[in-house]
Amino acid sequence: MHILRALALASGAALVSVTAFAQGTISNLPREETIIIENPEGTVKNPGWFNYWAINAGGRSTGLQQLAMDTFWYIDPDYGIDGVWDNSLASEKPIYNDDFTEMTVKLRPGIYWSDGVEFTADDVIYTIETHMKTDGLYWSAPVQINVESVSAPDPYTVVFKLKKPNSRFHTLFTVRWNAMWMMPKHVFETAGDPHQFDFNPPVSLGPYTLHSYDPNGKWYIWQKRDDWQRTTVARFGEPGPKYAAYIDPGPPDKRVIAQLNHQLDIIHDTAPEGMFTLARESDSSHGWFPGFPYGHPDPTLPALIFNTQHEVFQDRDVRWALALLIDIKAVAMASYRGAATISAIGVPPTGTQPEYYHEPLQDWLKSFEIDTGKRKIKPYDPTVGQQIAEMLRPSMGDAIPSDPEEIARAFGRGWWKPDPEAAAELLERAGFSKRGDAWYTPDGKPFKIRITVEGEARPVMTRAGSMIAQQWRQFGIDASIDVAEGTLVTRRNSGDFETIMSWSVETWGGHPDLSFFLDSWHSEFVADPGKPQPPRNWQRWSSPELDKIIEEIRTIDFDDPRGIELGKEYVKLVAREMPTIPLMSYNVFTVMDETYWTGYPTADNPYTDPVPNWANTKYMFVKLRPHKMAQK
Amino acid sequence: MSSYAAYVGKRLAQFLLVVFIGINIAFFVTHMTPIDPIEQSISAATSFGSTSPEAIEMLRQSLRELYGLEGTLWDQYLDFWRRVLVADFGPSLSAFPAPVATLIWNALPWTAGLLLVATLIAWLFGNLLGGLAGYYRDSRLLRLAGVIAMAFHPIPYYIVAFVLLILFGYVWPVLPISGGYQMNMARGFSPEFVLSVLEHAILPGLSLVLVGVGGWFMGMRALVSNIVTEDYVTYAEYGGVDHRRILTSYVMRNALAPQVTGLAMSLGAIFNGAIITEQVFGYPGVGTLLIDAVHAGDYSLVLGVTTVSILAVSIAVLLIDLLYPLIDPRVRLA
Repeated sequence: MHILRALALASGAALVSVTAFAQGTISNLPREETIIIENPEGTVKNPGWFNYWAINAGGRSTGLQQLAMDTFWYIDPDYGIDGVWDNSLASEKPIYNDDFTEMTVKLRPGIYWSDGVEFTADDVIYTIETHMKTDGLYWSAPVQINVESVSAPDPYTVVFKLKKPNSRFHTLFTVRWNAMWMMPKHVFETAGDPHQFDFNPPVSLGPYTLHSYDPNGKWYIWQKRDDWQRTTVARFGEPGPKYAAYIDPGPPDKRVIAQLNHQLDIIHDTAPEGMFTLARESDSSHGWFPGFPYGHPDPTLPALIFNTQHEVFQDRDVRWALALLIDIKAVAMASYRGAATISAIGVPPTGTQPEYYHEPLQDWLKSFEIDTGKRKIKPYDPTVGQQIAEMLRPSMGDAIPSDPEEIARAFGRGWWKPDPEAAAELLERAGFSKRGDAWYTPDGKPFKIRITVEGEARPVMTRAGSMIAQQWRQFGIDASIDVAEGTLVTRRNSGDFETIMSWSVETWGGHPDLSFFLDSWHSEFVADPGKPQPPRNWQRWSSPELDKIIEEIRTIDFDDPRGIELGKEYVKLVAREMPTIPLMSYNVFTVMDETYWTGYPTADNPYTDPVPNWANTKYMFVKLRPHKMAQK
Repeated sequence: MSSYAAYVGKRLAQFLLVVFIGINIAFFVTHMTPIDPIEQSISAATSFGSTSPEAIEMLRQSLRELYGLEGTLWDQYLDFWRRVLVADFGPSLSAFPAPVATLIWNALPWTAGLLLVATLIAWLFGNLLGGLAGYYRDSRLLRLAGVIAMAFHPIPYYIVAFVLLILFGYVWPVLPISGGYQMNMARGFSPEFVLSVLEHAILPGLSLVLVGVGGWFMGMRALVSNIVTEDYVTYAEYGGVDHRRILTSYVMRNALAPQVTGLAMSLGAIFNGAIITEQVFGYPGVGTLLIDAVHAGDYSLVLGVTTVSILAVSIAVLLIDLLYPLIDPRVRLA
């Protein structure tokens, strides 16, 4: 029994020794000078790799692209620190010749790499020529397809001669999440094969430089450069944090715990339930919106996407019938627990987009009719956003805004009214029939639909898909969920699905030009069934009418007001044709803790996107201030 | 000794056959994955930024050449075996051009360190308590220990892990809940670093021990309960031999043989990594590496981890097979 006593003693001693520990966050750095941010890439497998130009070789949102990379221009997904467009390494907007076969870039002088070498046109020429002669780098393909030659008449001017007219060539160098970053010529020219060079430590063009990193890929720490004034963000002031740590905090529950313990200043994303817990339990945590729906609406549009190469979904009537069977309120509740920003049209209700598209098109939507074959109906209900707000008010109280404009901004405007009767009429016109409680296709087979969802990796979208399947089943369609998990990307790209919960619409957010995603919807890029589809036309939809819109957009300037008119034509066309059923923006529950830092971007101060893996968040750093200083 | 040599030869041949079959199965299973690493790579590169559809096809072809995925399955199979024989699994497809061996080598010490210690502690505690509980059947304290050990055993591991996480990470926040050591601490054999590693290993280690100890406890108690009814134990008791000596030399020593086999199997299996432990506690190791590789369709890395695991388990079994006849001659005779 002595052994037993010894065991009990040892256990007791171990328990007591636990109290000797304290949850330390960071070693040898002052916490009040350090901002700790979630990197959603998680644990980086190859942490010592900083060569961004070698495709997917290492981490990207480890702080590398936010704090150390730079390129010509940035477009903000919200309203921007000084307008939506920012000339970053360029001193002015792109200058095209009349037929868009030449683009001139004027560079900003006085910008230096972190090792003291000035950034000049030589770096641009080197970056472009390296991509021209090396296959398989991140941007090799678009450079090789577009660039005939590149030259530098002086150290601050670069002239691109293009192989064919391209009015959107500058978007290759315009950051929306990322863009083609500039390489330091003086480092890479002696490094040998650019595929094999790890660029460790990285020479930075941003206001921070690498301080340290975990060889196991759990964290990266960046330190403010002494010469931060010689970087492009210095125009907006000094970055607040002296140190920035990008970490892998683990699964959603742990992120919530870490922020409640003030060990994680910015959560990149968490589950709606985690957001609600933080809103309830922490006085210092907040999301993008001060109340419901909290999350930041990303310029991304989750939708029910039809594979229009599938026989059943080639008929517009069928696609519309299925849209009229969806109750978006139930989908919003199931997916985001109500914290969704809905959109009936093919543009995310994000950033400045509602001002360009959603608001101006309200009258058109209200008067929009579809013919069921037996009658004409007006399917649009402009009050759905309001209805969701009212539905949540009894349980969420003050967290729900009451001003109609606030509600529209937070929950979206209208959506399509559920109308099973009209859906039945449309299906009948398409040759479908109902026997008993079940619907049958024109060739007499049971009407079956599989909705492919990602599963646990994306629970919000999975829950939305499950709810839609349930609603279709209630109508008599044999609808089911097909959980793809890790195979989703391969299956989506090869068209191995009937319908899929995903997004094929992504916009700049702040700028009304829709070419970011729309150009890829041209029928020239639609792959044959079974062949890999280039992003983003996952619906594989071909439309001569849409082709005309896209072709005209290609011929006009990026800022031409005609672009907005063409964008509206696209919206009307896809509302009529319904190749995808738009649902809502992808709301990201980015949660910011004000214990150490204040000045985060919010819906009331939308100077940039708070979602911290976006390279655009570099602008956030010049607005962040220590909390105590802010109180003085 | 000639019969032992024959025995060793037979076991070695068996070992080589098991390794060969295991690695072959791993190769074909990983290559049958519906996940295309090229599409995963393209998706990762294009899912956020601007994407030119024309450029994608060019990129697809370039990556296929760069990653060495050209050629038939047979070509890749031969190439794979050429590499395995020199312990080179080629570059990772999801962290190209990092060699698979380097990625595994970076992660393995953490997995081995945590699981080795946790497995040994669970084995020691479980067997010790189980042995005592089987011998001193009337002890209330040992009965209570048995109830506790068996109560933890059937609880799903992730529940225990989450309870510990909430208890010591939030309710009484005294222990770190993520990582292998404190952020920004210089790695080395300094007291601060060693202490930090130990501190970070407490919660994941404790979760493994709590769940693991019950199995060893029940096994050992059952074995001891049988042995104490043997004639030689009864005789020793009647003969006035000291109880402690009966317990250690007569009972537990005889009961340990199957438990040692179980330990060897468990130690071999640690190279699979404790996937849930690593996920829940954000602990570095091969489990996370394996999961990421599966999701990315990185069959080079999956094959690397799987091959190491097959070798580790097979070697553990081989060693036990070779040592067992020396401990218990009945095995050789059988």
